[in-house]
Amino acid sequence: MSKLSRRDVLKAGAAAATLGFPAIIRAQSKEIVILGLWDQTGAFADVGPLNDRGMRMALEERGMKILGQPIKYITRDGATQAGTSTRRAEEAIDGEGAKFMIGPWSSGVALAVSEVAKRKKVVHLFSGGTEDISGARCHRYSFQWAASPYTAAKTVVDNFMKANPKAKRWHLLVADYAFGWSVEKYVKEVGKAHGLEFVGADRHPLGEREFSNYVQKAAANKPDAVAMINFGGDAVAGAREIFNFGLTPKVPLIMCWSSGVEELVQLAPEIRENLWVGTNFYYTADTPAAKAFVKAYRAKYSIAPGYAPSAAYSMTRMLLAGFDKAKSAEVPDVVKALEGLDMNDIVGPMHVDAATHQTLRPYFMLRCKPKSAMKDELDLADVIATGNTPLPKEYGACKDIGSL
Amino acid sequence: MNLLFGQILNGIATGMLYALMGLGLSLITGVLNIPNFAHGALFAVGAYLLATVSGYLGNFWLGLLIAPFGIALLGLAIEYLGVRRLYAAGHDYQLLFTFGLALILSEGIILVWGPVGFSHLPPPILRGGVDLGFTFYPKYRLFVMAAAGLLVVLTYLFLEKTKYGAIMRAGIENKEMVSLLGIDIHKLFTVAFALGAYLAGIAGALTAPIRGLSPGMGVDMLGIAFVVVALGGLGNLLGAIAAGILIGVAQAVVAAYWIEASTAVIFAVMALVLLVRPQGLFGIR
Amino acid sequence: MKNPLLLVLISIVLLPLAVRPAIASEIWIFAIFGLGLNLLLGYTGLLSFGQGTFFGSAAYVAGWLLKYYGINVFLALGVGMGVGALSALAVGYLCVQRSGLYFIMLTFALNQLFYFVAYQWTSVTGGEDGMPGVPRPAMLGIDFSSPLVYYAFVSAIFLLSLLLMKRIVESPLGKILVAIRENEVRAGAVGFHVPRFKLLAFVIGGAFSGLAGVLYAMLFGIVPLESISFVTSGNVVFATLIGGSGSLYGPIIGSVVFIWLSESMSNVWARWPLLLGVAFVIVVLFFRGGVVEAWDRLFSRRKISPSRSAH
Repeated sequence: MSKLSRRDVLKAGAAAATLGFPAIIRAQSKEIVILGLWDQTGAFADVGPLNDRGMRMALEERGMKILGQPIKYITRDGATQAGTSTRRAEEAIDGEGAKFMIGPWSSGVALAVSEVAKRKKVVHLFSGGTEDISGARCHRYSFQWAASPYTAAKTVVDNFMKANPKAKRWHLLVADYAFGWSVEKYVKEVGKAHGLEFVGADRHPLGEREFSNYVQKAAANKPDAVAMINFGGDAVAGAREIFNFGLTPKVPLIMCWSSGVEELVQLAPEIRENLWVGTNFYYTADTPAAKAFVKAYRAKYSIAPGYAPSAAYSMTRMLLAGFDKAKSAEVPDVVKALEGLDMNDIVGPMHVDAATHQTLRPYFMLRCKPKSAMKDELDLADVIATGNTPLPKEYGACKDIGSL
Repeated sequence: MNLLFGQILNGIATGMLYALMGLGLSLITGVLNIPNFAHGALFAVGAYLLATVSGYLGNFWLGLLIAPFGIALLGLAIEYLGVRRLYAAGHDYQLLFTFGLALILSEGIILVWGPVGFSHLPPPILRGGVDLGFTFYPKYRLFVMAAAGLLVVLTYLFLEKTKYGAIMRAGIENKEMVSLLGIDIHKLFTVAFALGAYLAGIAGALTAPIRGLSPGMGVDMLGIAFVVVALGGLGNLLGAIAAGILIGVAQAVVAAYWIEASTAVIFAVMALVLLVRPQGLFGIR
Repeated sequence: MKNPLLLVLISIVLLPLAVRPAIASEIWIFAIFGLGLNLLLGYTGLLSFGQGTFFGSAAYVAGWLLKYYGINVFLALGVGMGVGALSALAVGYLCVQRSGLYFIMLTFALNQLFYFVAYQWTSVTGGEDGMPGVPRPAMLGIDFSSPLVYYAFVSAIFLLSLLLMKRIVESPLGKILVAIRENEVRAGAVGFHVPRFKLLAFVIGGAFSGLAGVLYAMLFGIVPLESISFVTSGNVVFATLIGGSGSLYGPIIGSVVFIWLSESMSNVWARWPLLLGVAFVIVVLFFRGGVVEAWDRLFSRRKISPSRSAH
């Protein structure tokens, strides 16, 4: 190596220092910094922008202000990966001063991010199918907006069986991570009460697109119904292959926890013929909040909102309601305000259970319409029922939500 | 039993695609002696090109014809402008280079087509399925099996029966001799890379209607291509074909009994085989 | 450079003033990882494209023990090195039989095997979701949960690793490895059992990688699936090549450049890996020796004789 002069060292040092500065040097501001952890890449790359839409709409409804203070809305791409998401969340918290975060979309990643929320003591809202956030991994800082997977399973299974009482043999196709595992658990649990026989339950990786092997296995089991517990692109690819291999429409297909509109529009009408869909929100929901939101969303984006933007919208409104109730933007006050919060929002009446941070609220069951019955290209399905049976106490794994 | 036959059919279909990928990679690594970590990205770009060209022309068949040539051209450019300077550079730099290319290509896909995956349906006459007795099978997959199989046969005939193919095989065996015999070794390398890229491109194009398009679709294929080449023996073209089909079938058969392990099995098989036979199943070196 | 160690020390002190302690820790952790790889790549001439196997395996095992058995931080580090070494022994045993492209492909494919096993073994690793909740238990009254305290700890371990690696490469073992790199046949003819030495390099490199893996898991409190993926394996190779594999300090510079760039660029432009790819291409075509060589070329008046022959 050649000789290194002092000048060179100083030059290098100055150049290096300009590349980054830690938060302590940044000026403190009166802004309330809210982080939207929305994926722009990875398995949920299509969902992130939708989430962002919903969250932005809710914040803009209040003019980007709350309690007289300006709101700074920042987003970070978690890449649908646990490692990246936790790092970006930490960076936003440490570097930007974010004290409130919503997201991410993937349940598994959310569990990791929830740990960050606990460690860094920031308010965290999340919508997803894992039961752990309000269950085994509950703590004071994370809140679950989506219906409990138990509620979802009960709504879906009960209502499907009402319409198809003889379909006792079920084959399950499950996304292999936290969300899939929780919903699968309760579908089986609720199914027991109906005398269902689960002739097969295969797990596939998140982001899978090659479903031929899974579908053939499903077909070989000769089920009365196929239930998919997956989401987004996985669900669309799976539904298509199930159709291509001739299973549906003879055999009914159930999407247990779906995005609703966003997935359904990607499927040709013949694939939707015998399709039953469970979702956290459908755009024909009959509540004043939903009607207003759907109207505004359609005006802006020319399509009805599915579960993803609606969840982000409603979670943001829930957070804002928390600020309103607490009359403060301090994290402990907002947490206490959210606990026990009652709200009438797009899905209907919602109540946040203080002991588990699980939102008790309706879950929707849809039946897709045949092409002949569709009044317009977005008239994809009818809401045939809603259900809001909460998780029975004996299943609840959140015994002590802990302290702030 | 029906399930097993159905899975084997799946396995042959995917195996044919693996064989195409492995064949292309074996050609490149065999002739040029470089690790081509951009092979998966070439596959992905092939798929995207098919979707775009078919969509633009309104004709799947034209797209299938044109798109792989686009990838071959890309391969040609890559070899001529970059790889060519790296023959003496050592594998680490060749790896860095091809990996850099892979990054440029996959990020480029996102820049051009967006980060969101989308689907591309097969042409109307290939939609739906046929009842084969033991299983109901999608027409498009049967087409892929036939098309990939045809390509494999054609490539094999080119390499075995034509003069240029013989030169290529000689180039794998002994580059010095080939150049001493007066053959332009640089042209040989360029053609080999372009042909390898073509095979990756057409594998991607055929796959698009099955798996849909997503920016990361080449990543898994890269790993599998390497396994095929390692199992088939570096530079052993027939070996790559056999290994590809073998792996596809193995994956599908395992899926019938333990579906979660079906992908890991590919690598486990490779590790086991190489433990016993370091040169691969069919390799001689 | 008169005293590179001094420069490293200065950097350790100055770095937390420029970036967050978490990023600074990550840089030195990655540098340890790079040191381990470079024993194989730069000194022995073995392009191992599967170091993530050892990094990730160590992270998972130590993370598990930290989380469920409450072991202390030093034991975790020991476990990490042990697991790293053991997994490297297994992988190395399979790989040292082969050379050239076969070797590279094998390390890559075995990495994939470990990856898919980790993916499927969800009850242990959490699969896709990773293993969150890895603690940094306090010890001897030191509270490791403070980012700055942990940074000091990581820096100390890094310095020790650097000194250890310096010892190794300056020892007879180091010379033998270089001899193997220069001419394997001759080294064998002279009487060295080449495969055994290659395996030894693997094991040592694996131990360093495992150490880095545990520190990483404790830094972020999670063992993400990516830590055992080929992306991690690739990143350490690239960082080392960019820094310059021809010197002991190359991996360190490479780590600083790579991690710093990744962290700062990812918020500026989501497509920044494209620039990274372009950087790789440029480095290969124009700056073969990495930052170290570029620095030499730019700042030195003397003609540099190549520190390693082309291979």
